[in-house]
Amino acid sequence: MNFPALRLCTWLAIGLIAGPGAPARAAAEPTERVQVTDAYIELQTGPGRGYPIFFVAKRDEWIEILLRHTDWYKVRTESGKEGWVHRAQLVNTVTEGGTKKTIRDIALDDYLQRRLEMGLGWGRFKSEPMLKLWTGYRLTETLSAEATVGQVQGVFSGTDYWHLNLNTEPWSDRRLSPFFGIGVGKFKNFANASLVSAAITNANLANASIGVRYHLSDRFVLRADYSFYTAFIADNRTDEFRAVTAGLSFFF
Amino acid sequence: MRTQAPALALCVWMAALPAAAQTQAPASEPTKPANEQVIVPEVARRPVKLPRYPSNDFEIGVFAGTYATENFGTTEVDGLRLGYHVTEDVFFEGVFGRTKVNDSAFRQVLPGGIFPTGVEKLYYTNVSVGLNLLPGEVFIGRNFALASSAYVIAGLGTTRFNQQRLQTFNLGGGFRVFLGEGVAVQVDARDHIYSVDLLGKRRVTQNLELTTGLTFFF
Repeated sequence: MNFPALRLCTWLAIGLIAGPGAPARAAAEPTERVQVTDAYIELQTGPGRGYPIFFVAKRDEWIEILLRHTDWYKVRTESGKEGWVHRAQLVNTVTEGGTKKTIRDIALDDYLQRRLEMGLGWGRFKSEPMLKLWTGYRLTETLSAEATVGQVQGVFSGTDYWHLNLNTEPWSDRRLSPFFGIGVGKFKNFANASLVSAAITNANLANASIGVRYHLSDRFVLRADYSFYTAFIADNRTDEFRAVTAGLSFFF
Repeated sequence: MRTQAPALALCVWMAALPAAAQTQAPASEPTKPANEQVIVPEVARRPVKLPRYPSNDFEIGVFAGTYATENFGTTEVDGLRLGYHVTEDVFFEGVFGRTKVNDSAFRQVLPGGIFPTGVEKLYYTNVSVGLNLLPGEVFIGRNFALASSAYVIAGLGTTRFNQQRLQTFNLGGGFRVFLGEGVAVQVDARDHIYSVDLLGKRRVTQNLELTTGLTFFF
């Protein structure tokens, strides 16, 4: 990692966000207008329940929706006041077409419609600490593809690895649901400097895992899994490892 | 042969019975269904466009500050952070940071020093889960307020230091002040905990980091 490259990346990233991208998009798409049908809705100064309410929009007033941040929407009233409104308060608003339910509260039942998931796990690989980061994409209700990158950080050596898995979750509609997966990937083993003669091994791996997922809320899932790794070290030699991890993931 | 003939006839008759019952049945039913739709509405379906609102749940930021490597003193640190706000309370954040650790403190008494070149680069990467607490406002003067939020955060990652990769836990907290739409200034205090063998004995070290950063939401 050289420093100028990082700096360049930083400025590029800042440029992308602060640059002309955002206003151009706002100009191309007209903002959505909705009419308040509840007695009133409360405008808060920030996107969170703890921010003070500073304005109230009455029934029949038209408000413009400008931006969403998590479950909060930034709106502008006819009088030009801008504030944040929780999704729940906008559920009963109607659009210009007179239709309702443009903004539905995310129901817990929607979890099967959520496709993209990301998670972080920690556990033991043999007896060494292991951490991993995964991204899953739900192909069907019971089948998902998953990409994992991780590290095993031992005292004398460490291992970087990645693998792609296909997971099946036969009872995916349950809150606590087991899953099974198989996958292939690669190990890269490296020695910590203190060790005298340690060979770096690059090996293909295959894995099979079994685990459970527990839906904590509409966006979060707890998960624990037990994996069986096979490393194909040479044509006639394989090594086997077991790993147990637990982690937390969320839906985008 | 003789005894079988009546039995065969009975079989044929029994087989024909349900068929006959079926052909008779429609004749007994009315020709029109009772609840026939009188008016068939011809509604032209409008094309429904689901509204998509611009959102800014992701954040990217740069930060700089000090990193106190245990036993080696404090050095400048800078880095990048990338985050995703799942709900108003919970966010995930990945950070890459780097600093240069020097062993000048040891060179006073140990002429050889600890590191071969006197300076070692330290990189860390981590992924953490943060919890927003105390959402509120910071008042600047009497009439001007900015939205703010404090947070606590904990996570795990890896530290690359002295050609070793060390499993690192981090925990800490910070304070974020929103300057306007999508821009925030944040101060962050973090303890990076890892065990390392640099002075002849493997021990757990606490490495405190204090940073200030600028964060953009997109």
